[in-house]
Amino acid sequence: MSFEPKIVSFLCNWCSYSGADLAGTSRVHYKPNVRVIRVMCSARVDPTFVVKALAEGADGVLVCGCHPGDCHYSEGNYKTMRRMPLLKRMLADFGIEEERVRLEWVSASEGTRFADIVDDMTERLRALGPSRVKTALAYDAVER
Amino acid sequence: MTERRIGVYVCNCGTNIANVVDCDAVAEAAQSLPGVAVSRSYKYMCSNPGQEMIVQDIREEGLDRVVVAACSPRMHEPTFRRAAEMAGLNPYLVQMANIREQCSWVHDPGETATDKAKDLVRAAVYRAACHEPLERMAVEMCPDTLVIGGGIAGMSAALELADAGNRVYLVERTASLGGNVARVDLTAPYLDSARDMIVDRVTRVVEHPNVDVLLESELERLDGFVGNFKATLVRRSSGEAPPRQVVDVGSVVVCTGYKEFDAARVTHFGYGKLPDVITSFEFEQMLKQGRIELKDGRLPQYVAIVHCVGSRSEEFHGYCSRVCCMTALKYAHEVKSALPKAYVSDVYVDMHAFGKGCEDFYRRSAEVKTLFLMYGKGERPVVRRADPGDDCEMLLTVDEQLSGELIELPADLIILMVGMEPRDDAGQVAHLVNISQDKDGWFIESHPKLDPVATTTDGVYIAGACQSPKDIPDSVAQARAAAARILGKISRGKLEIDAMYAEVDEDLCSGCRVCNEICPYSAIEFDEEKRRSHVISALCKACGACVATCPSAAIKARHFTDAQIFAEITGVLA
Repeated sequence: MSFEPKIVSFLCNWCSYSGADLAGTSRVHYKPNVRVIRVMCSARVDPTFVVKALAEGADGVLVCGCHPGDCHYSEGNYKTMRRMPLLKRMLADFGIEEERVRLEWVSASEGTRFADIVDDMTERLRALGPSRVKTALAYDAVER
Repeated sequence: MTERRIGVYVCNCGTNIANVVDCDAVAEAAQSLPGVAVSRSYKYMCSNPGQEMIVQDIREEGLDRVVVAACSPRMHEPTFRRAAEMAGLNPYLVQMANIREQCSWVHDPGETATDKAKDLVRAAVYRAACHEPLERMAVEMCPDTLVIGGGIAGMSAALELADAGNRVYLVERTASLGGNVARVDLTAPYLDSARDMIVDRVTRVVEHPNVDVLLESELERLDGFVGNFKATLVRRSSGEAPPRQVVDVGSVVVCTGYKEFDAARVTHFGYGKLPDVITSFEFEQMLKQGRIELKDGRLPQYVAIVHCVGSRSEEFHGYCSRVCCMTALKYAHEVKSALPKAYVSDVYVDMHAFGKGCEDFYRRSAEVKTLFLMYGKGERPVVRRADPGDDCEMLLTVDEQLSGELIELPADLIILMVGMEPRDDAGQVAHLVNISQDKDGWFIESHPKLDPVATTTDGVYIAGACQSPKDIPDSVAQARAAAARILGKISRGKLEIDAMYAEVDEDLCSGCRVCNEICPYSAIEFDEEKRRSHVISALCKACGACVATCPSAAIKARHFTDAQIFAEITGVLA
């Protein structure tokens, strides 16, 4: 059987989660590889959430927030915009491929965009193969 | 931790979920999750028997947490929280798994969708186990209301609230009340005067002791939260220091209306080049002045009315502007009564006569000898100047759909039925009051069917054509509905606001003050004596930005704690 990546996605309640709901009400189909966790704002996404998801076996983590300028909390997404690249740089130092963590802006009216992003990310992760983070951590634990 | 007693309820949503996800299998899998005492699959969890089931299980099975796998929490979380409350369980001990909008409606039927639903339920069960009971805060409800926009919707909302004895600040950007309806002559389908309607409303609003009308004014800033907003209103003037006032209001109704589509964007009708191609609003002006005439003062013999200019087109707006069809029929009547000898043709795509009395009106229009010609959606009737020998000014070529013939129609006056579009500053308004716009720019309601006047910001309502194209009766109904929602809150006197807010653990806080800067609402204060930060809970909107920022992990987002989200991550991947 071909490899099916698991994506954990953190969506902000106001824009991106509504956008994902809109994909549903509009019956816009997308790959079933994504599992959504709702947060109030993308700025709530602590870098440890992303690390935790990778450590527990996610092949990719998708963080979505409102478009810059449209944040329900006026500027939360700007914090996310600065935080995520720092996290990705750190993860790269640990050998985690850049494509595994993705930040996107999805508004409440962009159901199709959310579906497209999930499909695209699924395809890229399929090509990239499974994440080694979980097994590496388990191996480390045994070594010690 | 003592063993939890979690109840899991998998909703079939009729066939909406059950056709794609094996709900019984999901419920069965949940049965073996840690702490799960009861797990059931049921046809409609939101129905009365569905809610009863939860209430009964909480009472009889001693459940201490409830997980409902159903639609989006944005749809029915309040429903299931109420059910829990009814059984004496704290509403924050309920967690939903979204297996409809984010599973059954977007995936193909089968094992994969069922597996995903199982993962989502597991995540919800793990998370629910970490939930804590929370108490909502009671706050005062200020009975005063800010209404933005003095059109028919704004005036209707203002009067409804003011008549019930409450103060209303009605802010209008222009120098007069009445909005777009004030630009109209008669109204469809009963041909009664818009002017009479508007004059009556304006007089009542202006003379009402409870309404403060602020003309040439706008909202500059809105702070606070439901029941306790502070609105900064500014009078637009050329001076350097425009007069400002800050008013306390409990609610805001946005009634900013629409603007008409710019006909110059469509080139094939010759608008702006041919003098007697005019827009519907220019024709209304002519009707109000009491004389239908051409630019050179002559009376038109052939009048052509063209529908869907800017509406229902791939190039401009995909939506239907809803009022133009009946307005076009109204023009046929008004032309016929002013110029009985004139030939009126109505060039339409589809005739939308859906409102009360509208189908009758359509039939009566055919009886006054209006020639109806149908053109195809996506087709373009083309206007050109007539030849010197013709007895008309222009010729309109229509690929007529019913006869299948290319028809050249004589015309002296062509009226373009321009559609509605969001105002240019709709984005600014949305930003000011913290509401969202859809892909076309209209403001988004809380729920398209069940909550059409509320928005995602508690205490902010929308009414009229700022939400989507709307006729007068629908705008008035929506405005009064918004007022009714506000009156309900006012009559309760106190409001319960969400128990989600951030809290600082003073033992962990190092006093670095990073959170003070990060909070967009200035809700975090620094206590100089204790050298610790603390959150003013009434001002906190629970975004959680400070929580993720705190280097000491000293801030907790109630109901979105690290422990709860970690549990959800573990659950979804287990």
